[in-house]
Amino acid sequence: MPDKPILGDAKSRAATRSMDGWLQDLDRKRQSGPTLGDAHAGAMGLSTCAVHAGTHDDPRTGAVGTPIYQASTFILNDDQYSAVEEGFARDRFIYSRYGNPSQWAVQEKLAALEGAESSIVFSSGMAAITATVLALVDKGAHVVASSDLYGGTYNLFNQEFPTLGMSATLVDSHDFDAIEAAIRPNTQLLYFEVITNPVLKVVDIPRLVDIARRHKLRLVVDSTFAPPPVMRPLEMGVDVVIHSASKYLNGHSDLIAGVAAGPRKLIDMIWPRLLNYGGSLDPHACFLLERGLKTLSIRMRAHEESATALATFLETHPTVDKVLYPMLPSHPDHALAKKLMKMGTGNVTFFVKGGDQAALRLLDHLRLPKQATSLGGVESLISLPFNSSQATFTARQRAAIGIHPGCVRLSVGIEDAADLIADFDQALAAISTQKDRAHA
Amino acid sequence: MRNNIPTAALSEFVNEVAQTPEEGLMSYGIEIDWESGTRTRSQTKPMLVGPHRVSRSFEWKADEPRQLMGNNHGPNPQELLLSGLGSCMMVSFIAGATAEGIQLETVKLDFEGVLDLRGFFGLGTNAPIGFPEISYTLHVTGDAKQEDFEELHRKAVLHSPNAQTIINPVALKGDIICTAVKA
Repeated sequence: MPDKPILGDAKSRAATRSMDGWLQDLDRKRQSGPTLGDAHAGAMGLSTCAVHAGTHDDPRTGAVGTPIYQASTFILNDDQYSAVEEGFARDRFIYSRYGNPSQWAVQEKLAALEGAESSIVFSSGMAAITATVLALVDKGAHVVASSDLYGGTYNLFNQEFPTLGMSATLVDSHDFDAIEAAIRPNTQLLYFEVITNPVLKVVDIPRLVDIARRHKLRLVVDSTFAPPPVMRPLEMGVDVVIHSASKYLNGHSDLIAGVAAGPRKLIDMIWPRLLNYGGSLDPHACFLLERGLKTLSIRMRAHEESATALATFLETHPTVDKVLYPMLPSHPDHALAKKLMKMGTGNVTFFVKGGDQAALRLLDHLRLPKQATSLGGVESLISLPFNSSQATFTARQRAAIGIHPGCVRLSVGIEDAADLIADFDQALAAISTQKDRAHA
Repeated sequence: MRNNIPTAALSEFVNEVAQTPEEGLMSYGIEIDWESGTRTRSQTKPMLVGPHRVSRSFEWKADEPRQLMGNNHGPNPQELLLSGLGSCMMVSFIAGATAEGIQLETVKLDFEGVLDLRGFFGLGTNAPIGFPEISYTLHVTGDAKQEDFEELHRKAVLHSPNAQTIINPVALKGDIICTAVKA
């Protein structure tokens, strides 16, 4: 018997077999993971999980933290060949498109943060979304999704789905009658975002879980706007939670990544789509994401603190028409936000008086926030939906999803609230003076 | 992956169903519409795999040969019956082989059956209406011994849902909804 060191998850073994039994004798059971080690921080607090879960110090050198395994391929032995033959290649290291220790480390951390049995990281949020959706639908399938989806997801349903012989019906995520009415005999999946972009509608996830269960459908949610310290959708009964990890999870606006987390059964169904569609995450990006995640909880507290102060300031400013921040009582979904969200985030959407032209001038006068799309970074980012995320919409289509003239999408970073308030104060003063001059 | 079946996932599913029996309940349905003469169109309805709905967008036609007043536009119902029986026995055989670690190279099932239409016609003889006997030959090549293949064959038939449906009495519960159309 040759020595077979296990290069991968040591608790994952082939089913034992005998020639005189039948399928009931197969004894391999599904388990969480894959994991590099036994230490599991999953039961601990979120900050502890963020620091310790999945991070396995280098056993050979004692180096603290996960080394960057910048390798495309791995030395194979009998055990790995056997894992491929027995159908559990996901639990062994074979080739980095299939799995890499740097991926496993950050996957274990993300799974612990989401309260999931398993997760997979992808090369972008869209790679995670495409692989997850296409893993959970079959020939001729139909999906019910929200009408104000992120543009990339909308394009998946609008451009790719018909080519694949599938269809999607997009409905208002607050209209539960319309959601149920849209369900057809061939509907397999409900797909929603827990907080929408840019008007920050909070979606009633427990009600969607109820609809999905009654109709025997899967429910997938994109929780990019509500990372685990804010919401853990799997605990509410969602089947799979997806993030663009480029946003709050990484938090430093320096990489593109995505993640899908959920029960091992479903994540194992998504894994072959990762292989077929090819959206694997590079080991160095995994390292950056893992490092970024370690500060997730304290970053979220800083985002919330500065965003709350700034939103409160904006709400009282005479040049601002309206502020949308779910944790403020003025937000239409405030009661639901208090019920579902454990804390606020950095996303604040507001409307300046004077419409889109005034909003453009405001962006030019601001000194701290960067005029850029994306969100969830340590630096404040600001953009206007009318010329960026919803530029392909007509004014009427924008108004239908609450994007009225003067709409500003702001992702508050972790800068000091006083500095942000001072900056917005001077910029708003500048545009209101300009407006006065224009009208003089 | 042996025989392109993930043994690990098969084992995990078997153990899941042992723990959570409702995950092992498969609900199927098909709709059959009369098209013309002896020709019908069958469509699969969405299937339930445990408590989860799965889209099944498949359709096919059945017909009788011209000698039986049809147009020979598709396999006939007897051929489809044998196909459903044999495909199910095949799944059972492949799953069993995979679980036992047998690598298969080729597997072929060759079915034959003789129907005596005097039964269908009601000609008052003792001829049975259905198949009195269905015979088949299993041709298999793979890395197991003759006796292992024979034992696997026995177990595959024993656990094949369609083979067991054919072999054993099954309740056929029918209902009819009539609408009279004035000429």
